[in-house]
This record gives sequence, structure tokens and C-alpha cells, in this order.
Amino acid sequence: MATPVIRSGYGFVAPALILLIAMNIFPLLYSIYLSFTNAELTGGALADVGGRNYDIVFRASKFADALRTTAAFVASAVGIELILGFALALALHRRLWGKPVILTLLLVPMMLPQAVMGLYWKLLLNGNYGIVNQIFGTLHLGQPQWTTDPQLKFFSILVIDVWMWTPFMMLIGLASLNAIPTYIYEAAAIDRASRWRVFRRITLPMCLPLLGLAVLLRATDALKQFDLVMSVTGPNDAATQTLSALLFQVVFRDGRVGVGAAYSYVVLVVVIALASIFIRHLNASSGKR
Amino acid sequence: MMPTGAKIVRFVGWLFVGAYLGAATLPLSWLVMTSVKSKEDSISLRPKLIPITGTGPDRESSGRALAFHPTVAGYASLGDPDTATGRSFFHYLGNSIVIGLISTVATVFIGTGCAYGFSRYSIPGSKDWLFFILSTRFLPPLAIVVPVLMMYREFDLQNTHLGLILLYTSFNLSLAVWLMKGFIDEIPLAYEEAALVDGYTRMHAFASIILPRAAPGMAVTAVFCLISAWNEYGFAMTLNNQGAVTVPVYFAGLQGNVHGLPWPQIAAGALIFVGPIILFTVLVRRHLLRGVTFGTIKQ
Repeated sequence: MATPVIRSGYGFVAPALILLIAMNIFPLLYSIYLSFTNAELTGGALADVGGRNYDIVFRASKFADALRTTAAFVASAVGIELILGFALALALHRRLWGKPVILTLLLVPMMLPQAVMGLYWKLLLNGNYGIVNQIFGTLHLGQPQWTTDPQLKFFSILVIDVWMWTPFMMLIGLASLNAIPTYIYEAAAIDRASRWRVFRRITLPMCLPLLGLAVLLRATDALKQFDLVMSVTGPNDAATQTLSALLFQVVFRDGRVGVGAAYSYVVLVVVIALASIFIRHLNASSGKR
Repeated sequence: MMPTGAKIVRFVGWLFVGAYLGAATLPLSWLVMTSVKSKEDSISLRPKLIPITGTGPDRESSGRALAFHPTVAGYASLGDPDTATGRSFFHYLGNSIVIGLISTVATVFIGTGCAYGFSRYSIPGSKDWLFFILSTRFLPPLAIVVPVLMMYREFDLQNTHLGLILLYTSFNLSLAVWLMKGFIDEIPLAYEEAALVDGYTRMHAFASIILPRAAPGMAVTAVFCLISAWNEYGFAMTLNNQGAVTVPVYFAGLQGNVHGLPWPQIAAGALIFVGPIILFTVLVRRHLLRGVTFGTIKQ
């Protein structure tokens, strides 16, 4: 019985693994090769150029700029979303009239297409006829040019990202609060612990593991930020050029496929570093279950 | 009796949730309003907030400066073919539907089979394989878009439905396998063992015992895969900018419009496009947590 069982087990898993290897692993290997060639978008014969592409990547000031922009974006987006989302979770972690409706309304932005929402937000943020500036005007707060002022473009993209992804943090925040057994709070009440103390010593530490998971998931996602940048400012804007936008610019506007492949490998190393933390985290928590 | 401190905290909490809810739902309510405005009203310098019907004598008076007449022109113009391409919004919507549905069905079936294999058989190195599958989710799409573009040129898959279907299927597999493994692990072994004792083959037991019980999980998984394929922009824009163009790429391409963006039309199209997503989100809301954490948090 043993052999056929194992064989049919492979039959179940093989299609998925073959597809993943063909569509993800093979391209990755192929791109190592491309990164050492002079491949161009327009085609033509490939020639080996050694490490020249990597040299270009590390010397380009644009790469350092994009790295900084991306890091600033990931840190501020994830930080703001975590604080807002966890605050919402704390406020909503109680019996509340209409809670399912409120939760659903709050969660919707997270499921929407970023590219379409980025375009639509340009209407909201338009300097002349956008509703945001009309509200600002009524409150005498001035008329910031959200999507054209170099000082504000980055902030505008950040606002849209926060609007879309704060619900994600709230969702996981609520789950972490729900997982705390009530008897711990009862024990704290008997000890007459202050609210602040209960929050600092019980709520926060017990929520941290899941919030950590949320931060890692969100960070690996924010690291790829492309859709909003493309729709709000386009790929080649010094104020908002993330790594993904730069890569797009190099490959599809400048047509330098070989250099782009080298870029993507450098980016990949960063992502793998982050993802491996997440996976180790998962491994540890799944070992506990 | 509640201590005053708790009352204050509760009040501040309410205030915060109310303010956030107001700000966060404003964009969507404005989207609905924009979709029923005329093009002029949508970019009016004074906000048009109050829809009024009929043609009362005071419609142009200053008291009605914030009012607008709702119109379905935005929706009606969705059917108009674009002057440059000769295609209307619905052509792109059709592409999104074909690519989204086929890739979703493929992902769910391949993913369910794979999850079943890992759930019920002892496959050597299964834990490593599962983490390999998960790790593919963290690949930035742009890290593989370059080689995929070269591959697709070789096989003539650029600008085809099949090209994006293959990509989306492989990209969503990690999610499908992990979610489905969670769902299948929850189905008691006893059912299958009884069926196997009764002389069912493995395939027969899988089809008649597991599939019906895994169906709700498959539906949830399908919703997440569909939304992810539906919303995808990076691959769609770089690989399919001539043929089999999807809605997000079509919308993004309107940016360069010389006559100004047709906002009511965009809003109407965006609403039609996100309508199903909102509906599905409501349907799977109890499983959202599972979906966004790859099944690692089950509630």
C-alpha cells in the first residue's frame, strides 16, 4: 500500500509545484542570466557584459534615492497604519450597536484596486476642484497642491495608502484583542490595576506577536508599492520614485532590460531578507499550535 | 456603576471611530455622487453636494449653489467606443471577467489538490515545500516581470488572456494552498477512512468526501483569488498593453486625456468595477482575517 499512496500524493501536489517552478523559479534563474547581458527591450542579440549592470545599479544615485524613498514610505505607511489601526481596534473591541456594519464599512477600502483608486483620488485631491481643498477652503486652511507640489506628492500617496491599509491593521488588531482570555482582565480588576497599567502590562504585550505578523505582512507589501505611485505621479518623479517605479522606468521607458534585471536582483535580496523574518516567525508560531 | 475614567475613554473612543469612519467613507460616497453628476458639476469649483430632481423655479437661485441635477450620463457613456481604440469600457470589463474567472477556477482546483496532498499524505520535505510555496507570494512582481516578458515574447503570450491567466494562477497558488490546507486539515480523517474501508479509491474519496466538505473553504479562497486577479495592475500594464487589456490598465491609461478626465464616466466605471468586490467582501467578511494572513489566524 505504501508506494501507491506516496505516488498519488505526488499526483495531488505536482501540478501546483510545476506551475510555481515554471512561472516563478525559472524566471528568477533566467533573470540572473539577463542581468549579466546587454539585453534591450527592443530585442537584438544578447552579449555578455559581466558585472557591468550591477556596477551601473550601485553607482546610480537614482538607486540610492529610490531606496531611501521606499524605506521612508514603508516606515511611515506601516507606522501610521499600525497606530491608527490598533487604536480603531481598541475602540471597537466592545459590544457596539451596528458593529458588523461599521466593521464592514471600515474594511472595504482594503479590497479595492489600488491603481483605480489612485486615479480616483486625483479627483479628491485636485488643487482647484477637489473636495479635499474645498473643505480646506471652507475651514480657511489654504489650498495645498496635493499631487503637483513636490513637497506634498509623497505625502498624498501616503494618505491614500493609509486609507486603504489601516483596516488591515485594525482587522489583525481586533483578532489579537479577541485572543486575550477575559480571566486575565478579571484578575487585574481584582488587583485594582489601573487602566493604563492593564494596557501596558497585559493588552499590549499579548497583542504584540500578532501585530508583529501584521507589520511584516504589510511591510513586504508596502515595499512593492507601485500602483499608487504610477497612478498619482507616474514612475519617474523624483519625489515619489520607489524601487518598483524605478525598475519600471529603467526597463520599460529606457528599455534597458539587462540593467533592470540587475536592479530586480538587488531588490529581491532586500525582500528575501524581510520575508525570511516573516517565515521564521510563522514557523515558530505554527510549531506552537 | 462605571467609573468616570472609563466613561471618558469610551467617549474618546467613540469620537475617534466616528471621525475615522466619516473620513474613510467620504471617498466612496463622493465616488457614488460623482458617478451621477454631469461632467461640469464633477469639476465645479464649488462643491456640488445636494442632488435635486425636477426643475423648480428656484433651481438657479443662489440658495441652490450646492445643488446638482443627477444624471445617468456617466453610466450611459460607458458604452461609447473610445475614439482612438474603438472599444468601450465593457470590452475591458469583459477581459477582466474572463481573466479573473478562469484564473480563479484554475487556482482553486490546483490549490485544493495540492493542499489535499500535503494534508493527507506524508510527503518528504512537505514543510519545506509549503514554505517554498508561501515564499513565492513575497516575490515582488517587478522582480520577475522582466524575464516573464522575455519568455512571453518567445511563446507569443504577450497581450493574450492566457498569459495573464497563467501568471495570476501561479501568483495566487500560494494563497490558495495555504488557505485550503487550513480548511482541509479541519475535515476529520474518519470520513475518508470509512470510505476507503468501503472500497472507495483515493480519487473517489477525494471527490465525494473531501470536495463537498471543502466547498465553503473553496468559495472563500476563490473570492480572495478573484479579488487579487481583478485588482492586479503591474503585470497587466507591462505585459498586456495592446491586447486583452484589463480595467485597471484601461483606467490608468486615461490619464493623458487631452480634454480632461471624464470623471463621471470614470466614477461610474469604477463603481461597476468595484461593486462585485464590495459584495464579495461582505459575503466573506467572517473569513477576511484568514484570507489576509494566509490562514495562519483562524477565527
